[in-house]
Amino acid sequence: MKIRAVLVVVVILLCSAGFSQAAEDKYQFKSAEQEQTFRELTLELRCPKCQNQNIADSDAVVAKDLRDKVLALVNEGNSKQEVIDYMIDRYGYFVHYQPPVTPATIILWVLPVIIVVLGFGFIVFRQKKAAKKQHWSEQDEKMLEQLIKQYQRKERHS
Amino acid sequence: MNRKVLGFLPFLIFVFLCVFLYQGLFGNPRELQTGRLGQAMPSFNLPDLMNEQKRWTEKDLLGDVYLMNVWGTWCPTCIAELGYLTKLREQGVKIVGLYYEQAYDPDFGDNFDIHALREEVQTMLSRAGNPYQFNILDLERSLSLDLGVSGAPETFLVDKSGTILLHHTGDINQRVWRSKFLPALEELRNEN
Repeated sequence: MKIRAVLVVVVILLCSAGFSQAAEDKYQFKSAEQEQTFRELTLELRCPKCQNQNIADSDAVVAKDLRDKVLALVNEGNSKQEVIDYMIDRYGYFVHYQPPVTPATIILWVLPVIIVVLGFGFIVFRQKKAAKKQHWSEQDEKMLEQLIKQYQRKERHS
Repeated sequence: MNRKVLGFLPFLIFVFLCVFLYQGLFGNPRELQTGRLGQAMPSFNLPDLMNEQKRWTEKDLLGDVYLMNVWGTWCPTCIAELGYLTKLREQGVKIVGLYYEQAYDPDFGDNFDIHALREEVQTMLSRAGNPYQFNILDLERSLSLDLGVSGAPETFLVDKSGTILLHHTGDINQRVWRSKFLPALEELRNEN
């Protein structure tokens, strides 16, 4: 009985989530392609006011203005890159979540490669060292046996 | 020798990371929003806040070094800086207001009461000081978007040829004026 009640509540919640999402879709597009471009752009462009949100997510006035501008530009037939350039021109590289490759940001691409190369180099280096032939005399063998016996005895006592 | 250096490597990386992250604590992410620096004032054609018959364009502003202050009566920090800006005006700094109306949404258009806004602005300016030569009303926030404005208050320093030299986010006070605007103005004077 209880489970059924919980299920009903869950279903109602899921439905209402669907409805509220449908209510947000007030934008008009000429084609599905433009709608797709608009969705991608609002997810990729960062709100200049609430800096850890994209403009689709943010309720700031400026985020709404940017959404409207993106919509207008997309409906005018601008490509995705053209809209991004338009925004970067005004708000700086900051407004796009994908940073461009510049002398200041090149380290973001180069550093991971350097770390991987160094890591593999280190592994190879250790492998070579471990593979070196070592001397093993009879005396060493005896000493080993003696040590094993000694510690086995200790374990038994404790 | 080699081994000793290798042994210190983790420590060196640790120190490097500490320095890197420590200086990150003091970085201001808003400083990066300067898409328009060094470029010309974007072209616009907007009405005066107090008189819709009068229209302003970027050409009307050429020939003077001026501050363009983005503000609104809804913004407490803007009101707080009015006093200091008024002092600057008394010292001979030309300040143009760009009125950023937050409540207006172009999608809902017609219910905007410009007369109530004018009254409110007048009351506010007579109480806190009026630093503005005039105010440009950017009702649809189109010039604000072209300038890369994210809110208010923000202030631009523009030279005689209409080039944007500074974009400051936040209020202007004595500290900011001395550390940011005075050096830029000094540089301008030296160039001439």
